[in-house]
Amino acid sequence: MTARGVLGHPWLTVRVQILLGAVFIVAALPKIADPPSFAHMIYNYRMLPGALVNGAGLFLPWFELLTGVALVLGIWRRTASSAIGILLLLFIVSIGFNLIRGNPIDCGCFDVSAAGRSVEERFQDMGWVIARDVGMLLLVGQSLWSERLSPGRAAQPDQGA
Amino acid sequence: MRRFFAELSALVVCAALCAAVSNYLAGRERKLTPVGRYPNAQVVPQPAQDPAPGPAPSTPPAAPAPVAAASSPGPVPAGATTSLPAPPTRAIPSGSPSAKGGAGAPAAPEPLPGVPSGESLLSRFPPHPDRPFAEVSGTDALWAHSAGVPFLDARRTKVYEEGHVVGARSFSVWESDVDQKVFALQDEVPAKDRPVVLYCSGGECEDSHMLAEKLFGAGFVNALVYRDGWPDWQKRGGPSRSGPRP
Repeated sequence: MTARGVLGHPWLTVRVQILLGAVFIVAALPKIADPPSFAHMIYNYRMLPGALVNGAGLFLPWFELLTGVALVLGIWRRTASSAIGILLLLFIVSIGFNLIRGNPIDCGCFDVSAAGRSVEERFQDMGWVIARDVGMLLLVGQSLWSERLSPGRAAQPDQGA
Repeated sequence: MRRFFAELSALVVCAALCAAVSNYLAGRERKLTPVGRYPNAQVVPQPAQDPAPGPAPSTPPAAPAPVAAASSPGPVPAGATTSLPAPPTRAIPSGSPSAKGGAGAPAAPEPLPGVPSGESLLSRFPPHPDRPFAEVSGTDALWAHSAGVPFLDARRTKVYEEGHVVGARSFSVWESDVDQKVFALQDEVPAKDRPVVLYCSGGECEDSHMLAEKLFGAGFVNALVYRDGWPDWQKRGGPSRSGPRP
């Protein structure tokens, strides 16, 4: 089997989509449980106008949850993958921007409690988070590419999981 | 492509609906106002009693440390905004400046020995109507605490309940009821030039500064931000307590 065949294989695509969906579900839950803390995290990015901070703090976790659930359940896979890709790009740009301008932040990706880490630890974490998000973006790319090769095929149980 | 946008729109609408419903059903500590006011923290939504930032600082109020002296040290639930609790410790710590025992102060409740008069409070912490806050050290904070100056804890309520300065009230700027608490404070504290100490987690924590800006917008001109905050208070062994009681 060619590399193209392996990368576009429904078996792999289904697992990639479930993994991506599960990650986004897990990431969304603590934010849904504590919106003020997540809004605080968003404020610390210093990128959104203050009027939008709370709205983003309320909306983003639910959007993450719904796209994650859609991917896990195999509903609207292309749209959900694209939405997750857009979110990941947004995260990479936001964290990268703060890394470049020297603003140490807790990413608020999976934990919205103040971790009490040092500035150096935060900068180090920001680098790791960008690397992790780039990796997940590659998974999104695989999912979208596979969908494009054979739309809907990954959802079929006999060819998928 | 049309299908893609239709599905994306459906996801966005569903997420917005879920967010709105969950926020509506959320308890006080989890609720957010839909529109944030963080860079504009000085904006207080209702007309304040003293909209101009700062009464003349040269008019000392009649009662020494009126807020703390008139309050009772009884249990007050977290978030209650009825009265400011008096700190139980009244002794001036060693090394603090000598207080003049409320000389010439016609306060209704008899001032406790060692509690400085309003004048000495204002001489140590003069009002600053030109800026939202002045930063104070741990030594100043300890002195102010023993002098009966009200403390406000700007951290989240759940963090406050894990441990806070005795007598401090929970005033998280990230929770939806902070404006109501500010209004209540306005009603309780007629003299806006009296010092109020605000603290959060020290270090890079800005919550106390944001709260100070909000209080400044409400007319308070003597907010003192305890720069090193709660970690420093613990390090210094200042009186502390856990749970919802101030």
